[in-house]
Amino acid sequence: MLLVHSRDSGCALLCKLWIALVLVFIYLPVLCGAVSSLSKSRYFIFPLKAYSWTWWERTFNSLEIHTLVCNSLLIAIVVTVISTLIAFGGALAFARYSWRGKRLYQKIILLPIFFPQPVLGLALLLWFNTLGLELSWATAAFAHLVWITPVVTLVIAIQVYGFDPTLEVAARDLGASPWQIFREITLPLLWPGIWSGMLFAFLLSWGNFPLSLYTTGVDNTIPKWLFSKMSAGYTPMVPALGTMSTIAMAAIMIVGGLLVKLHHRHQGRA
Amino acid sequence: MLGHKKSVSAKDHGAVKGEPILTLSDVCRSFEGRDVIKKINLTIKRGEFFTLVGPSGSGKTTILKMLAGMDSPSSGDIVYDNQSISSIPPKARPTCMVFQFLALFPHMTVGQNIEFPLKIKGVPAEERYDRACQLMSMVQLPEDYYAKNVMKCSGGERQRVAIARAFAYDPQILLFDEPLSAIDAKLRKTLQKELKALHEKSGKTFIYITHSLEEAMFMSDRVGVLNHGVLEQVGTPNEIYAHPNSRFTASFIGDTNIFPVRVRPEGGWESSELPLSVVLKVKQLDRNIEGYIIVRPERLRFLTDGALADNAIPAKIVAIYSLGSSLQYELIAGKKELSLQLSSAHAPDYKVGDAVTVGWDADDAIFVLN
Amino acid sequence: MASYSLAKFGAGLEIRLRALFYSVGGRCALPIYLLFVIGFVAPLLLIIGFAFTESHSFSLLSSFSLGNFGEIFDPSSGIWKSFAWSLLFAFIVTIALALICYPIAVGMVRILGKKWASLVSLLFVFPLFISENVRLYGWVLFFVKNGILDGTMRLLGGEGPDLLFTPELTVFGLIYSYLPYMLFPTVLGVSLVDKDLLVAARDLGASRLQTLREIELPLAMPGIVIGMLLTFVLSAGAMSEAKILGGQSVIVLTHDIDIAFTYAQNWPLGAALAVSFTVIVALLIYAVFSRLDIDRILGGKR
Repeated sequence: MLLVHSRDSGCALLCKLWIALVLVFIYLPVLCGAVSSLSKSRYFIFPLKAYSWTWWERTFNSLEIHTLVCNSLLIAIVVTVISTLIAFGGALAFARYSWRGKRLYQKIILLPIFFPQPVLGLALLLWFNTLGLELSWATAAFAHLVWITPVVTLVIAIQVYGFDPTLEVAARDLGASPWQIFREITLPLLWPGIWSGMLFAFLLSWGNFPLSLYTTGVDNTIPKWLFSKMSAGYTPMVPALGTMSTIAMAAIMIVGGLLVKLHHRHQGRA
Repeated sequence: MLGHKKSVSAKDHGAVKGEPILTLSDVCRSFEGRDVIKKINLTIKRGEFFTLVGPSGSGKTTILKMLAGMDSPSSGDIVYDNQSISSIPPKARPTCMVFQFLALFPHMTVGQNIEFPLKIKGVPAEERYDRACQLMSMVQLPEDYYAKNVMKCSGGERQRVAIARAFAYDPQILLFDEPLSAIDAKLRKTLQKELKALHEKSGKTFIYITHSLEEAMFMSDRVGVLNHGVLEQVGTPNEIYAHPNSRFTASFIGDTNIFPVRVRPEGGWESSELPLSVVLKVKQLDRNIEGYIIVRPERLRFLTDGALADNAIPAKIVAIYSLGSSLQYELIAGKKELSLQLSSAHAPDYKVGDAVTVGWDADDAIFVLN
Repeated sequence: MASYSLAKFGAGLEIRLRALFYSVGGRCALPIYLLFVIGFVAPLLLIIGFAFTESHSFSLLSSFSLGNFGEIFDPSSGIWKSFAWSLLFAFIVTIALALICYPIAVGMVRILGKKWASLVSLLFVFPLFISENVRLYGWVLFFVKNGILDGTMRLLGGEGPDLLFTPELTVFGLIYSYLPYMLFPTVLGVSLVDKDLLVAARDLGASRLQTLREIELPLAMPGIVIGMLLTFVLSAGAMSEAKILGGQSVIVLTHDIDIAFTYAQNWPLGAALAVSFTVIVALLIYAVFSRLDIDRILGGKR
């Protein structure tokens, strides 16, 4: 596994094969879902006798599912905006400045990531209950924030680590005010990290199930609806909606990734 | 001059080259009780190229930061044109810095980098462009580099961009924080020449810091030697080379033979590092003082075929190195290691291990006090 | 003695708080700290409060009781079993994932070129954005009777194995779900190892295995340990895998907590379970975190 000498090339090949195999393993169930959603019949028997888009159409036209999409989108957008705002400051404190208490802060802030989400969801449910808050998309968004903001902080912090603070000093020396430094130097250079952070926030919120399970109340989200249908018995709408959601997320990720790349190329740092 | 307001007025008109522009009086700086800069007194003249040289940790960067306004003295004062600037922020100072690693903005083109200080001042775009082109030609960057990304420029080109950007700020004093230290030797020489020429052409005051005395001497009008926060000596390169006033300055210049000397009770001088039988002649007052004498390797010579010198010491050759046009001999006399340099053309036929006599004239040695 | 250390603690706290409000870094950290306190600390304190309340009570600390903890560890109640299952599953999953992910991480850091490595890491990140129950349901369709595996085997003249709704498949599902959580910290760890060191070790005569054991593993350890911690904690607290793939053949800890809160309406018992679990998690996190230098791991500072 060392792969230093040229005679280790056999090892390298094995390693590549292993990566390919694990990737197949990762995507196999996603593929299974896609195949079963294309079945014409109500029940899933493989190999499929007839393929059709029937269940996709039904899913697409379902009013219930429109509401789900709206709820999921609303939560994801709110979470993206708020978590990125909070995480931007959080990331600067994490990686840019040295201050007393930073080392403790770096560890404390990661704790929610290291905490099982179902337990966190239940704890928040109890907390909302005690505060007398009615469960809705807003409480769900808050629950997502608790878990997603530290993740976004980490994503942005990685960009901040690559940022050279002397650039700010130089800009100040050249006459720039704090606001000009922020707008002309700091923000443009950290932008790729912020953008990736936003992508992470949106996608993680969209797909989140364990937190939503306890905190959405009546405002159902897609993952929660899928779970309730799964336990209730098979309908091809489950894999159909799952696959649609997956494709939509892939599209968002690819477009978002390309935008970051374009930005880098624009800056000549690709 | 560009029509911007500075808190410290740049009185350019009627400024006389050579009059004091910047004065440091009793400047001290301590970090957490440790004195890094100890009572520096220094006057820098308008239009000169002044270099502060010293080993790492000598405090040269701290002084530069105080001049730039990124740090302020613990005590003492920095005066620019009769105005104290100790507490004026960087943006209001008549100084601008070229950073060690240049601090070019990676997300901007060459042109945008150079125009940055102009944009900050609110100069209109066309005027900015004209000025940037002017500055680029001044630092010998081709005009089509305007739209080139700085990160795609070579090391030498980046230097020039950084210098042009500092000029765009139009400071009275340019500060340089070892900007050439990361550049290879050959290119460094070229850039040193260019910088010197740029200094003469622009007539601005340059304050440069480096750890290389060679670089300092090559470019500067005057050099200040800094050691442990103390300014050991200030003078022209020639003065520093010919008349170092301390052991530190003398040894900082390069390979040199230094030994402690004291007056012998029975007359003449002796050194504790040489065999005590050797009686030295030292060109110094006959006062009863102790100090060091410094003999440059090229001043030390072999005494063969009855050649005479004021001082003669028996020694043995330990190693011989070729320096191209000259040879360097490492010798040992008693316990003292000596080095001797001479032109390859006149090299005698000595081998390692040979016993020789080396010597120097009293006039060729420099005496410094303890 | 106690008052002395209390005073010391107080002084330390005061310095920290002062730093929080008076340094730029501290002020930047304020919003996230606020979120952390009202979204994480407060709910946990609440749960701790409920854990010590009389069983089946709905008002916080109306009474004080240790009975809930007694019930958990009472051999006859059977709740301890879910605890044991979860920890066992987590243990197996952590070891398995460490072994699965290490070669992948080495491959991504050192074998694949930069372009391929970023594509592969993108492919490994993406599943995180698909809801876990969608992915797990894909496995149900794979393993179910007349499903993909069974159907394919039938075409070949055999019959698919009956794996669905077993504890083994739960473990399988956990391994599947938490692979990225193990992989990315391991990649971080492996990229901390300077390749020149490995070349030097081999040059000094170390065998491949010796180099791995003496140089590579110790240097990559911070990343690997973070990955193992994440994997252990998250898989011990997982629920969907046991519900969807395990078919509730085994009740795991989180499921028991869920039952206590919802179906059984016994909040204090659920809270006590959650607290017991949190204590284990906290001890593990403390053991690992107190030895970590985050700047070095994330910033690559040496």
